[in-house]
Amino acid sequence: MTRAGNSAVRVARVLFARAAESTAVVLILASTVFFALRWLPGDPARLVLGDEASPAELAKVRASLHLDEPIAFQYVRFLRGLASLDLGDSLRRPGTPAMARVAGALGPTAELALVAVAIGSVLGIGAALLASGPWLPSRGRLWVERLLVAAAATPLVAFAPVVTWALAVRIRAVPLPGDPDAGAAGLLFACALLAIPLAAHVGRIGCASLAEVARQPFLAVARAKGGGPLRVWIVHALPVAVGPIVAVIATQLGALLGGAVVLERMFERWGLGTLLLDAYASRDLPVLEGAVVAAGGVFVLAQALGAAVHTAIDPRVRVEP
Amino acid sequence: MIAVRWRDSVPLVVLGAISAAGALAAREPIGRLSPVRAFQGPSWTSPFGYGEAGVDLLPVVCSAAGRAMLLGAAVALFGFAVGTPLGGAAALSRGRFERVVDRACDLVQAFPSFILALAVLSAVRAPSRVHIAFVFALSAWAPFARLALAETRTLRAAAFVEAAFALGRRPSGVLAHHIVPHLLGVGAVQLGSTAASIVVSEAALGFVGLGPRDGVSLGAVLDQGVASMLRAPHVLAVGAVAVTVTSGVMLLAGRSFAGVTTSRSSR
Repeated sequence: MTRAGNSAVRVARVLFARAAESTAVVLILASTVFFALRWLPGDPARLVLGDEASPAELAKVRASLHLDEPIAFQYVRFLRGLASLDLGDSLRRPGTPAMARVAGALGPTAELALVAVAIGSVLGIGAALLASGPWLPSRGRLWVERLLVAAAATPLVAFAPVVTWALAVRIRAVPLPGDPDAGAAGLLFACALLAIPLAAHVGRIGCASLAEVARQPFLAVARAKGGGPLRVWIVHALPVAVGPIVAVIATQLGALLGGAVVLERMFERWGLGTLLLDAYASRDLPVLEGAVVAAGGVFVLAQALGAAVHTAIDPRVRVEP
Repeated sequence: MIAVRWRDSVPLVVLGAISAAGALAAREPIGRLSPVRAFQGPSWTSPFGYGEAGVDLLPVVCSAAGRAMLLGAAVALFGFAVGTPLGGAAALSRGRFERVVDRACDLVQAFPSFILALAVLSAVRAPSRVHIAFVFALSAWAPFARLALAETRTLRAAAFVEAAFALGRRPSGVLAHHIVPHLLGVGAVQLGSTAASIVVSEAALGFVGLGPRDGVSLGAVLDQGVASMLRAPHVLAVGAVAVTVTSGVMLLAGRSFAGVTTSRSSR
């Protein structure tokens, strides 16, 4: 086989392995929720309708959720629904497919998360450059590092309400994100809150990564050729150090989605978090299953995207032909 | 012998004692309602002030912090007990088992476990702390397994491990007698950060309304604080400081084991 053919086979093998792994992740997550909802003590139909429900109503819900079938049949039906992205109708809104409700809620959460990733990446990389580069005195660099550690250790659920109270309620510098008139400024403020823990993690990893790169001889060559600090650190050092930063952004997505749920609840903003809480309150099992599958899908996609960006930026991680 | 830096455990002991004293010295049942004093600010009689429906915040916060610390410690110990031998066994066996455990750790650590917790907790009518512990335990083993994997990859090439195999020890015997004792130190350090993250996650669940059924949760205090931030900001301040201090103290307590050595590894 030719060199190009070998390379194509290798790439196809890697892609196949990644696709199989991603499918397995979504399958395991969906199955965990499926079995938890059916095996944990308690009757799911009674959970949906409450203790006052009549036997006829309970039987109707059991039939609509196929709870009266053997568990193996239910699981096969669930897997079939998963493959066709049809997990049945929402119990809260009969006639509306559960996945349609999830898809409708995914957009606002994705908007929140994507802007937060952009803000967090810029802030984190900026802080890492400040803490590693020659712009600040050594004491200043130490304080930037301390600030990053403090931000990483402070829980979002604790600082987000306090910052909101201080900035939006006390000094009124920003609008309350839950206010219908808040517009883009409200979204930006919510995203900035969500971005702070991510920025702290990106900053800490960026500092470590840049410290490693700073010892490389090619930076001395760049300086010797007359490159200014901005050119040396941003054009030469940053692209080499960006691999671990991309990896940490991809792995922090889970925490980011969890944070989005908290912020959506706090600001009463529509999204995957509010849908999940709404589905929890009404025990809308198809929507709950669909939301976890969607979160799993987003997570897998982000991991793959992170790996692709890492490969595109850093030639050292590319598959050898 | 295990060498522990007791100085770093002092805040945990102090917070534990304050929580117990605050909860035990309460002059009235925790969560007693008295609408006339709703949202009154801090005073000598109630240093943390009153919350929604006149609940005295001091005993509620003390009790919630104590319970959150116990939950965090219990789940972290479970993760330690499961993850450490699992990671050690995976690295010792090499091959496919090692790769599967390694990848599983990656995924479990990165996946939004908070969303999974929401979905799994919906299977019970009103979650208790046991249910919450179960949900967190689903992912608590992963950081310990990851550390044990990394550590065992170095240990498996050590002369004493090769000697044990050469003397006819089975892999399970090598794991139990030669690998796991060396993993205790590094795993113990992770206990603090896992317990701290459990404290924060429990508060987040309480904040979104999925806390324990008794309602005694730091997240529930934060939720009250957000709802009343315009008229009673002290409730928000008390909740936020309580969550930060409790998780920070657990994190710091984990550092007591930072210099841990075992008699075997020091030989």
